[in-house]
Amino acid sequence: MGKTYIQQLFKAYNITVDAGRQQLFEEFMSDERNILAAEQIITNQRLLMDTWQFKNRLADIQQQQVVIPNATVGKAYTARFDFAQLKWEDFTWSGINGLEDIGLAYDTATAEIKGTPVKSGDFKIRLQYRLQGQAEETPLNEKLVSLVINPNPRSLWKDLPSDREGAFWKEDNVTAFAPLGDKHLVAASKRGRSHANTGAYRDDDFAFTHLADSGWSILAVADGAGSAIASREGSRLACNYIIDYFEKEFSPALQADFDALLAEYATTGSDATQKKLTRFVYDILGAAAFTTHKKLDEFAGGQGMSLKDFHSTLIFVLLKKYVHGYVIMSFGVGDCPIGLVHTGASDITLMNRLDVGEFGGGTRFITMPEIFKSDTFATRFGFKLVPGFSYLMLMTDGIYDPKFEVEANLDRLSAWQSLLADLGGQNDDRIQVTLDAPSEDTARQLAAWMDFWSPGNHDDRTLMIIC
Amino acid sequence: MNGEPIEAVKNGVQVMISTLRQHPQALETAFISVITFDTSARQLLPLTDLAYFQMVDIKASGTTALGAALELVSICIDKEVAKTTTEQKGDWKPLVFILTDGVPTDNWQHGLEQFKQRKVAFTVACAVGGNADTGVLKQITDNVVSLETADGQHISKFFTWVTASVGVSSTKVEYSGKEVLGLDELPPPPAELNIVT
Repeated sequence: MGKTYIQQLFKAYNITVDAGRQQLFEEFMSDERNILAAEQIITNQRLLMDTWQFKNRLADIQQQQVVIPNATVGKAYTARFDFAQLKWEDFTWSGINGLEDIGLAYDTATAEIKGTPVKSGDFKIRLQYRLQGQAEETPLNEKLVSLVINPNPRSLWKDLPSDREGAFWKEDNVTAFAPLGDKHLVAASKRGRSHANTGAYRDDDFAFTHLADSGWSILAVADGAGSAIASREGSRLACNYIIDYFEKEFSPALQADFDALLAEYATTGSDATQKKLTRFVYDILGAAAFTTHKKLDEFAGGQGMSLKDFHSTLIFVLLKKYVHGYVIMSFGVGDCPIGLVHTGASDITLMNRLDVGEFGGGTRFITMPEIFKSDTFATRFGFKLVPGFSYLMLMTDGIYDPKFEVEANLDRLSAWQSLLADLGGQNDDRIQVTLDAPSEDTARQLAAWMDFWSPGNHDDRTLMIIC
Repeated sequence: MNGEPIEAVKNGVQVMISTLRQHPQALETAFISVITFDTSARQLLPLTDLAYFQMVDIKASGTTALGAALELVSICIDKEVAKTTTEQKGDWKPLVFILTDGVPTDNWQHGLEQFKQRKVAFTVACAVGGNADTGVLKQITDNVVSLETADGQHISKFFTWVTASVGVSSTKVEYSGKEVLGLDELPPPPAELNIVT
């Protein structure tokens, strides 16, 4: 080997050995010291090359982008370093220290980071390793790998009270229970986490009354627009104006007209009666909605504000028990559904069509003059005469979004049955709302149930149940 | 863009993400996409859940293909932002932030035409350094901010502001833009109306 090296060396330097010096060269080549010197050079060259290759490999590993998935506090986590995919087949050992502080551990055998993180943040974890050919006693190599641990969103929500001194302040959370003829009303309205997080106000509202003399109940639910500065007052006023309107304008004479029409409808059911009833519903409920719109406009003007500042959706229902059954009449603008669950939860009637835009959050409000001019205005009314019913529910999108998700589900009995089962205790928190024996407690249970967790759904929640 | 400005942008994105991760509404609902544009535009990161976001290596050197970027963001909005249907829940309207330090070198009007047809909650354009053309940006959006000197401190201020904007966008809005004059009385019902059936 040494001999070949010397020959190559001479050649590289253009040193030729004359024929006369061949004898001398043979002697030179057989001198052990010379051979040894050549062999030492070769060994040193190998060492240099090996060291360079090793350093090169380490540098490659340093530069290599190694991505491991983000973790979340409180959520079980596993991330494996796939040695084949990472081209780390030359790793003979790997380990990570210090993961215990964040609730994780590294399994050397499986190359997995495992555990349930306890701390959030952007961490740099130190992956230590040894490569093939590296002696046991040499220090370990190190590579920093980024690990993002997201906080548990649940831990981030703050519950800041709203400012009682602020304009149009209202209670953050309210409940109601009241007998309503032979039915009961149970309702709760809660400020959503998105508002609680910033100390903002509840935009939802509801109101109701039972006119004992005539037996009519009037129910209203409204949801102020998050984008409008005084929508919390808009929703409160919209509900109250509706109650006011019927208390004042639904005169005994009008009621008598309606009673007569209904009796006719229940007995004959003729087309002519249907038309008259339709007109009655349109006129009186339409007038109530329109008067509410106008009064909101006046109120806004009086405040030196724009009607838009009070943007709110509105749904309302008139309910009365007759010998023929229950009459339910409704009006709705916005994205709050009114659902009538028939006796024995055997069927569902969605009383109104929702106003839903192309993108999240888009809807229409009682404060928009164009809704009264639009062709769709006439489709905002509902009428139903039923022998009996299990539940009548009025809700804001804070309930509808997490519990029904999409509009199509509102027409599906199964979705309503799921909601009823959920209210009956089939939920993560095991909270049961005793709708079969309604009382003050039921309203409190409903309020507690309303704290249910649904990621991304933290709007105000309002649910009014007649049962 | 290179040197300190691009480093500042990268740092800004990183700080923005870290801050958004502390915001519960953003952490549960926000998705992020990154598009870079120099001689061409490319989507560096498809729309990704904030919780899964991993920092990308942002590079932008060469010319300023703003038009291509506007066209690409339009395509991405069509593809990645869900619209509401009866069987599908729509996403919130996207927020678009544009950062540039140069004058567009391509047919940006064509890209703008595409972009104007897309519905966004709002668009903010940020002119970084003295070379950007705020006149062009003004035609994209009314919200144009200018960072006179493209240093880390200024760019980080912009990202602080972007971060604050993301947190406030998911609120109920009206979905009809048309203005109608007030009415005095309720219009009569259409003849064929059937409420009671």
